[in-house]
Amino acid sequence: MKREFKFLCVLMCLVLAITAFAGCSSGKDGEGSSSKTGTGKTGTGKTEKEAETGKGENKETKTLKWSVWDQKTTPYWDQLADAYMEKNKDVKIELVDLGSQDYQTVLGTDLSGGGSDFDIVTIKDVPGYATLISKGVLEPLDDRIKEDNIDLSKFAGTTEQVTVDDKLYELPFRTDFWLLFYNKDLFDQAKVEYPGNDITLEEYDKLARSVAKDGIYGSHYHTWRSAVQLFDILDGKHSILDGKYEFTKPYYEMVWKQQEDGICRSYSDINASQLHYSAAFAEGDTATMNMGSWFIGTMTASLQSGEYDKEKCGNWGIASYPHPEGAKAGSTLGTITGLSIPTSGENQDVAWDFIRFVSGEEGAKILAESGNFPAAMNDEALDIITSVEGFPQDEASREALKTSEIYLEAPYSENVADINSILDTYHKDIMNGDISVDEGIKLMDDEVSALD
Amino acid sequence: MVEMTLQKGIRRKERKRNLIAYSFIAPNFIGFAVFTLIPVIYAFVLGFTKWDGNNPMEFVGFQNFTKLFQDRMFLAALKNTIIYCIGTVPLTMVASLALAVILNQKVKFRGFFRTVSFFPYVASLVAVTSVWNMLFHPTRGPVNWVLQNVFQVANPPNWFGKDLILLTMILFSVWKYTGYYMVIYLAGLQGISGELYDAGSLDGANTWQKFRYITWPQLHSTTFFVVIMLTITCFKVYDIAVMIAGGGDGRLGTSSTVLVYYICQKAFVNWDLGYASAVAMVLFALVLIVTLIQFRGERKLQE
Repeated sequence: MKREFKFLCVLMCLVLAITAFAGCSSGKDGEGSSSKTGTGKTGTGKTEKEAETGKGENKETKTLKWSVWDQKTTPYWDQLADAYMEKNKDVKIELVDLGSQDYQTVLGTDLSGGGSDFDIVTIKDVPGYATLISKGVLEPLDDRIKEDNIDLSKFAGTTEQVTVDDKLYELPFRTDFWLLFYNKDLFDQAKVEYPGNDITLEEYDKLARSVAKDGIYGSHYHTWRSAVQLFDILDGKHSILDGKYEFTKPYYEMVWKQQEDGICRSYSDINASQLHYSAAFAEGDTATMNMGSWFIGTMTASLQSGEYDKEKCGNWGIASYPHPEGAKAGSTLGTITGLSIPTSGENQDVAWDFIRFVSGEEGAKILAESGNFPAAMNDEALDIITSVEGFPQDEASREALKTSEIYLEAPYSENVADINSILDTYHKDIMNGDISVDEGIKLMDDEVSALD
Repeated sequence: MVEMTLQKGIRRKERKRNLIAYSFIAPNFIGFAVFTLIPVIYAFVLGFTKWDGNNPMEFVGFQNFTKLFQDRMFLAALKNTIIYCIGTVPLTMVASLALAVILNQKVKFRGFFRTVSFFPYVASLVAVTSVWNMLFHPTRGPVNWVLQNVFQVANPPNWFGKDLILLTMILFSVWKYTGYYMVIYLAGLQGISGELYDAGSLDGANTWQKFRYITWPQLHSTTFFVVIMLTITCFKVYDIAVMIAGGGDGRLGTSSTVLVYYICQKAFVNWDLGYASAVAMVLFALVLIVTLIQFRGERKLQE
């Protein structure tokens, strides 16, 4: 008995010692022929990664694995891949759908530890971008950008906001910014003039209240923090990286008052019924809604397919985002979606060629055709977007697409992922009514300053 | 000389028997060792480091643990998990025991009721939580509608607000788990010999006395098992919390966050694997202590 016990003890200690050493080396072990097929559907059939080493003289098909989300409901992913494959017959692009809810978490997990199978990864948001950079899994793109003479000014200043230590790790291909969507029929019924393209937040509040009545909501705020907290970064004087969040107070109070007066649905209601913002607007009982430009694509596609009822929300328009007093008209929040090359990728040159394609003019055209906004916006793309069937044809809606300043919802900083988590948690507590706005702001201040 | 050979022979047989025994256990044990035991030990080591999954590990001693006790979200998660446990365990135990006792009698449609009671346990969690959320919706759910219009309650409660969310989670868990533990109690009840009840009747015991002096003591090892399983299951709560309190985006706020959720967040969203492991170790210690206390109590009872 004693001998066995001793043996067990020695075994345990050995295991402890070995595991303590195992983490020390961060080297990537060659995964060899690990055929990971990802968590979702692939764009083109089975995984067939042909060996690059010595396959003879014939042109080998290079397979690139690309991580995306919502592949089924967002047509441009496949469209971009197909267009590139048309032009480059020796490349096969396989899309892997990681789902949109936890996309950055799943991607981060995949890129952790040893190698991953991805050649191109899509970056969904800046906190995820910051996390991947700190994990050291993204390739800097500056040398390639210089080599190919890519002019970064066409990205309207967004690339500067995500440059880290003079290095750029992603090339944006899609920019989205926030707009005010409104239901023209409800405005006509209430005999109120449509919102123009230069309204302050006070005017917006009054507008929503003037259209609201029993059964009709004047406004709708989705449960995301960006829908409520970020009105105030539009004067360019504040951002979520500040560490002091007193500037968010007036807008929390505005939204809370609207909730209390029944102008908009309450946060806890929306949460409990898990109501999606598209459903809220499509129901036809919401007069205005602040949402991102990606919703334009959703509206046009769903109205065309008949999923949304034309009677309820067919007569819709967009206006420039309401801004604080003193800020420029056309100032709005924005996000960029970009493509990066993981350091473990094996076909980096081909991947770069694809990234250039997507971020360039050809990619821009494809994105515009499905109603999305390419990062390298030009007049041609603008024309395409506004001529998509179902896009509101009034002049004001066209003008609303011209933005003056786009402030990234989450500009880069080393701690942006942690800051994001903290702000999200207390935003939920404030909106649920668990704590008061003042308490929430104090907690945000305290915890963000506690980070280095 | 002969004795030594005899002893060797016996030992050889014993060794052979042991070998066969171990080879039967081996497959399961290897799986356990590789997927559970070694990762747990690894996590224990990780608790003393700072690591994000890619960059080299840094040894930081007890820093993670000292940080823990000043972490507001951790303390909230700890508090919520403990309250949830204290609420769910006794209620489930009582409910399942009561159901088992009733359904052990010759009641009409007994088989049907037993099936109905067991059903919530096997039903898909996502499906039942969706329905549950709809039922308890503060403004549009039937529960509050009934409270308001039938029972004339002026302000029906907000089941998902900070005051009641844990209660809602507890109610849901009790409903979900009762069936399973009822089956366990049924098995226990059927192991009680009928003679004991006959003897009791002879002594003039009424129903309550029969329960208190015969049924309950006879069930005490079943109860012990039920309470331990319930405690461990409740400390590990995650899916129920996220489905009921998570809202559309699956995020938990301060009033509904639980330990396992917090560990997940820290590990795979914030990539602070060392800190997450430290929290996991605290959870492990907590469950271990509670289980040891119960074992100790059980041993005392047996004496």
